[in-house]
Amino acid sequence: MLNVKDIEVAYDATQVIFGLSVVALPGQVLCLLGRNGAGKTTTLKAIMGLLPLRAGSVSLDEVVLSELAAHEVPRCGVAYVPQGRRLFTEMSVAQNMDIGLMVSGAGRATREKVLELFPRLRERLTQRADTLSGGEQQMLAMARALCTEPKVLLLDEPVEGLQPSMIALIRDVIIRLKSENVAIVLVEQQVDAVLAIADTVAFIEHGRCPETMAARELQNDASQLRRYLGV
Amino acid sequence: MDFGPHLFLAMLEGAITAAVLALTAVGLSIVFGIMRVVNVAHGEFFMLGAVLAWWIATIVGGPPALGFVMALVFAPVLTGLLAALADWLVLRRIHYDPERTILATIGLLYVIQQATLMTFGPEARPVEAPFNQRIALPWFEWGADGFALIWPWGLGTTTYKLAVIVAAVMILLALWVLMTRTRIGLIMRATQLDREMAVAHAIPVEKVYAMVFALGAGLAALGGVLTVPIQQAHYLMGGDPLLLSFIVVIIGGLGSVVGTVVAALLIGMSDGIISVFFSPTLAKILATLFVAFVLIFRPQGLFGQRAS
Ligand SMILES: Nc1ncnc2c1ncn2[C@@H]1O[C@H](COP(=O)(O)OP(=O)(O)O)[C@@H](O)[C@H]1O
Ligand SMILES: [Mg+2]
Repeated sequence: MLNVKDIEVAYDATQVIFGLSVVALPGQVLCLLGRNGAGKTTTLKAIMGLLPLRAGSVSLDEVVLSELAAHEVPRCGVAYVPQGRRLFTEMSVAQNMDIGLMVSGAGRATREKVLELFPRLRERLTQRADTLSGGEQQMLAMARALCTEPKVLLLDEPVEGLQPSMIALIRDVIIRLKSENVAIVLVEQQVDAVLAIADTVAFIEHGRCPETMAARELQNDASQLRRYLGV
Repeated sequence: MDFGPHLFLAMLEGAITAAVLALTAVGLSIVFGIMRVVNVAHGEFFMLGAVLAWWIATIVGGPPALGFVMALVFAPVLTGLLAALADWLVLRRIHYDPERTILATIGLLYVIQQATLMTFGPEARPVEAPFNQRIALPWFEWGADGFALIWPWGLGTTTYKLAVIVAAVMILLALWVLMTRTRIGLIMRATQLDREMAVAHAIPVEKVYAMVFALGAGLAALGGVLTVPIQQAHYLMGGDPLLLSFIVVIIGGLGSVVGTVVAALLIGMSDGIISVFFSPTLAKILATLFVAFVLIFRPQGLFGQRAS
């Protein structure tokens, strides 16, 4: 279980997260839903240790991640698919995956398993990452993360700007990961993209999480959505 | 000597300058490329290579080849360790902030220079080359009886000078293999391409930085060791390599290793040729002028990619 407790995060002088708490459970999808600028990306970076906490803590099972150096967090089983993908552009598809494999010291078996999820990457192993199409780049960003054999997967707007077929594929992968007991934290701005696969929805607003609801409840109660997303 | 053989000799001298310059400048280039640090103390690492080579050769004694081989191995290693220490104690503490790293490396330059003056002294000291046979080089001539090889007086070089060129090429090839074919190279490139994503994939970037700084310094020191049998060790000898390395790195495109090597060839060869036919000072003036033009008309360097 990933436990984010009362975290406060700032960029230099400007604080953007004010005492935010969320919990992600294995085999479930926690969706962080909020408008642009609400602090979703900042929260994920703070979980990864890429931004220091001013207060609060992040822990995974018994390990307090927020006490570790940032580069030790991925080894504890947290993987990050950042907004905008941020692949190692001048490297090949295979090399991007190698960077992921090095995190956990995983070998061929893991690589094969990941390539089975994304067969299109197998045909492009030697191709440079920045020559892939948008959808393929997103696959590679996910593949790179899955090569680390994560217990928790953080996905920051993974379907942003993708075609419906690609969105369906990524959704299938998320469902598959759920069945393998991975805890998934999914950041989205559009609610219709997530209602079908989310278990819990945490609304993020001005760096706080005023409300968390089961996705089931949400489907019946559209007024919450209107409040937080203005839809 | 006629013009032809004279030019050939000048090109040979240029090739030696280019070989040493390529090593030194590639060190500066990877430090800038991966760490975004402009290392003003880079020339001092070159000097340390030469000075340590003298110490090592003197302590080891015995035949010159033994001392030189020990120097070739240990001077770059010691210089690299010192650089890693400077990185860990100074650059890391100031978070690699661009302006402060320039000031910090200027400080490092003076500390290394003065410490060398206090221990090694102000004299220039020679290190004997491991081997140094003269070889006469042939030239061709269209005489009355057609094509003929001749051996013009004064056209020659030494085995050591040729070995410097071979050594530099081999070291650069080894570096290329390290960067493109090994895990450590992959880690270094990941750090260069996206520092934050490297951290998010368990790469300890601070250790990578210390290692890269050591590698850059070690390459400069190798340049110094290879140079010292040709040009004596002296505590102020780091100035020229620093200037030329900067010129080469800017022309080649900041952080582009291939560009750096090509620019080192260009600048080294023209430096050798202009020095032989005119004067070394003119060579430096022209090189600096060339940099000014590159900065005006192609700021990303000849091989650099335009920042997006
Ligand atoms: N590098 C940064 N420096 C300063 N402020 C930032 C930085 N990145 C984001 N912010 C600010 O933090 C707030 C939250 O941003 P972010 O976490 O990216 O929002 P979201 O991902 O929900 O769209 C915004 O007000 C944004 O302007
Ligand atoms: Mg965002």
